[in-house]
Amino acid sequence: MKSTTIAALGIFGILVVLTLLLPHTQKQQMQGALFQLISPVLRTGASVQQQLNGVSGGLKHLDELEQENKQLKLDNEQLRATNSLLKNLEAEVNRLNRALGYREHSSFNLHPARIITRDNSTWWNTCTIDRGSKDGIAADMAVVTEKGLVGKVTTVGKDIAAVLLISDESLHVSATIEGTQEQGIVSGTRASTNFAPDLRIRFLNKMAALKPGMKVFTAGAGGVFPSNLLIGSVKDFKVKEVEGIAMVTAAVDLADVQDVFVITGQK
Amino acid sequence: MILFFTALIILIFGSFVFQLFLLPVIFLHGAAILFVPSIYFYGCLSLPFPLMLTLTFATGLLNDLFLISRDSHLDFTVGTSILTYLVPGLIMHGFRPLFLQHRWEIHYLLAEICALLTPFLLLIEYAILSFQRSEIFLSDVIIWRIFGPGLISLVIAPCVFFILSPLSYALRYRPGLPGSR
Repeated sequence: MKSTTIAALGIFGILVVLTLLLPHTQKQQMQGALFQLISPVLRTGASVQQQLNGVSGGLKHLDELEQENKQLKLDNEQLRATNSLLKNLEAEVNRLNRALGYREHSSFNLHPARIITRDNSTWWNTCTIDRGSKDGIAADMAVVTEKGLVGKVTTVGKDIAAVLLISDESLHVSATIEGTQEQGIVSGTRASTNFAPDLRIRFLNKMAALKPGMKVFTAGAGGVFPSNLLIGSVKDFKVKEVEGIAMVTAAVDLADVQDVFVITGQK
Repeated sequence: MILFFTALIILIFGSFVFQLFLLPVIFLHGAAILFVPSIYFYGCLSLPFPLMLTLTFATGLLNDLFLISRDSHLDFTVGTSILTYLVPGLIMHGFRPLFLQHRWEIHYLLAEICALLTPFLLLIEYAILSFQRSEIFLSDVIIWRIFGPGLISLVIAPCVFFILSPLSYALRYRPGLPGSR
């Protein structure tokens, strides 16, 4: 074996060991720094993606208009196009109104944020929001919408933050079930997607009288998530050897959510 | 050689960022589209051993910094992927004498081998996660998540190879041929 090969292997081995033994806080700092480094790219990419979506939406609309051209006069087409645009605007206004109303009536200090990327990682479900430490966002803050719990902030950059979604297996939330004394731990399931996230509540009483449709709320234990945030509703309940496990449908459509709020404190 | 190596590092970094914007393939049960393994494996084939190790270190570290959420550090330590990338990287490096024949059909074949090794990276990740979380189970979704990216790479890897090959020539790096620097 060549001496350069042996030296390379030696240096490689030392670097790997040093990396693995690096303190947890330093790894977090490295991750935060990397996150901050790519934040301009993520923001630009997100706005380009939005514009592209707008263009493709417009093309689809034009296509539809072309079909209608065969039957309707030009002014009718223009009216339809305007109408359609207004409907989209109305939906957008309604969505923002709901969010605004939720913010005003909520008992928490809510900081609005927009999701700019959704992570395409195989085993972890995360997304990125366009707010960071300069907006007062810190790790372990809960992220919600007017419909319910979305996840919690993990890595924070200056003007960007990563959110671990409730569909991720590594996020554990203590939960209570509406109309019962039952408490359990909600987490995602491994390899679940944001398009059809499967949540489950573990450590339930085997005799628990759970019915489909019962609402699941945060219990407030652990200090990360305030109590009474809606997580979802019970889909089914199974009794295992030592515990009861309920499957839960998430209240928030994680594949579609765009605007979220970060809970920065109590009002 | 250093220029091409730097270009590979930049491409791998760029691919990690680009992958953040790619949605999973729904009809393949959410399988991810991965560009990084193909670029990495090309580096393993074309670069000499010390630089291949450096590339492995950079790729593995970036993989963990980009993909692992803070809460998962406990069951997947940053730096673990350096080792998971090393194993298939060494296998690919073993094919270097074939690669140095500079025949397009062999490069194509090697690209397909790269695609077949892509699921290995995900399989190891899944094994580590299962071990750390003390729960192992397999479902259709998990199998697709592991092997789906490999299927997608069967298409991506040859394209990546046929782009990187002229790039290395443009950067005056012709592996195994005289005139490289």
